[in-house]
Amino acid sequence: MPTIVACFKWVIDEAYIRAGPSGEVDLSSVSWKLSDYDRNAIEEAVRLRDEHGGTVIAATVGAPGATKGIKDALSRGPDRACVAADEGFRDLEPSQTAALLAAMVSGPIGAYDLVLCGEGSSDLYAQQVGPRLAEKLGIPCVCFAQKVSLEGRRVIVERRVEEGVEVLEAPLPALVTVLPDINSPRIPGVRDTLMASKKPVETLSAGDLPPVPAARTETVELRTARLERTCERFGAEPAEIVRFVDALRRRNVLT
Amino acid sequence: MAGVWILAEEHREVLELLHVGRGIADGLGTSLSALTLQAREEADECIACGADEVLLLPPLAEDQSLDAYAGVIADEARKEQPRVFLVAGTSRGRDLAARVAARLDAGLCSQCTALEIDDTREGILMKRLIYGGAAVQSLRCTTRPAMATIPPRTFDPAPAREGRTGQVRQLPHPQPSPVRIVERRVRERETRDLADARVVVAVGRGFAAEDDLGLARELAEVLGGEIGCTRPLSEEMHWLPDQACIGLSGVQVKPELYLGIGISGQIQHLTGVRGAKVIAAVNQDENAPIFGAADLGMVGDLYQVLPALVREMRKQS
Repeated sequence: MPTIVACFKWVIDEAYIRAGPSGEVDLSSVSWKLSDYDRNAIEEAVRLRDEHGGTVIAATVGAPGATKGIKDALSRGPDRACVAADEGFRDLEPSQTAALLAAMVSGPIGAYDLVLCGEGSSDLYAQQVGPRLAEKLGIPCVCFAQKVSLEGRRVIVERRVEEGVEVLEAPLPALVTVLPDINSPRIPGVRDTLMASKKPVETLSAGDLPPVPAARTETVELRTARLERTCERFGAEPAEIVRFVDALRRRNVLT
Repeated sequence: MAGVWILAEEHREVLELLHVGRGIADGLGTSLSALTLQAREEADECIACGADEVLLLPPLAEDQSLDAYAGVIADEARKEQPRVFLVAGTSRGRDLAARVAARLDAGLCSQCTALEIDDTREGILMKRLIYGGAAVQSLRCTTRPAMATIPPRTFDPAPAREGRTGQVRQLPHPQPSPVRIVERRVRERETRDLADARVVVAVGRGFAAEDDLGLARELAEVLGGEIGCTRPLSEEMHWLPDQACIGLSGVQVKPELYLGIGISGQIQHLTGVRGAKVIAAVNQDENAPIFGAADLGMVGDLYQVLPALVREMRKQS
């Protein structure tokens, strides 16, 4: 019966990001959420457990606020959680996140068969933590899965690539990153949320993990992405339709 | 050679990276090496297009994937100490780059959209989108090599120049990876490549039923364009194939004209159309965010507007 680790990240909800007066990123009114793509990783872990038995552990590292994500993650079906939250874990870059998760998975979690990650986080979307974590753990890894199945001590993965689909297999333990279309993540109900508060949570402090390695990248600047467009408005009346088509013609985009 | 390295699987992407790589190598006053899976005869073209050195990766067994090269590439990088390493950001390229970065304990800028010489650090300054496309992050790597993945079609292919010379070397065979390919299913090309389309008509949740997409197809036909969509239409409704999905985690398009129909304009989708010369939108909700990101926005019911647009365009053409 497999032990499956589903990694998740508690992230800023990008829908609430505003531009400051000179284009700086204004995070003053943001709320936080469970990273979109990680919902698919958790759902897939739970689906595999429901099919094969075993245990799903939801795992995260992050700033102290990340503990707010535990209940959300557990309400989606995992059996327990393992969380390392510390002020020193704020704004980690992918190499640091992978190093800490590797220490968590190989240390406190210990025995595992499969690690599932989203293809990327909805804040940084660097798509590095999965493969970097696999390298740190020294296990095989397949990214961009649209289908995952377990057969004995092997994982079979359909991976989407530019020219179509590749079916790959790897021995367990292995790591797989999943695409958002692998499943439709459940929307937890009241009962799920109530159940979640009863599930065991292992909380680690910074001292339980090795020191955070130095960052390998530094952010020099962060600015809102401006889509500079002319924002001309048109109605839908016949005269407006003519004006719209004329406007397209004037811009030389019609053949 | 310890200068700038590039790696890509496909020939066109090799040429794109040679283009940007040559500029960076010249700026840093160093050499350019191309790691390629191409046959020996392609190496001469790499040299003509800017490479000073071509490192040939030996062919893989039928059941092996690109990731098998991670060890060989990391070993070579430890030996040669490149300053910059650019990898084509295809699915397999992104995966491989992250693994090599992990082995070298190097920083990696994922899906870098712009890069320039960083005068202060003898390295490069890179830009990428974060927060679903809402923000641009400028970053530099603090260790060598500075690594980046670069989405295909970010740069034009490098032009060939007469009289360039360079070396060709063979890299060692990799150890087989425990990850084995057991089947390849090449996709039937259901849609022409959206990334290269001159006109893109994109459809969103404003369409009530799959049959109604005919209205958009008719408009695309008049405009000589291709059909794309937002994620819910391909992923949840399955009205269109995955490769029609435009956005951060889908296709990035760069058409002359993008026309979004019944699309509210979530940032993840708009990120995929940033490169369009003209962005136009039709939506009945005058407060839809797409209007803030469009050059031309028409507020109206797509079911009336589309046939009227088709009639008007036919009249004028």
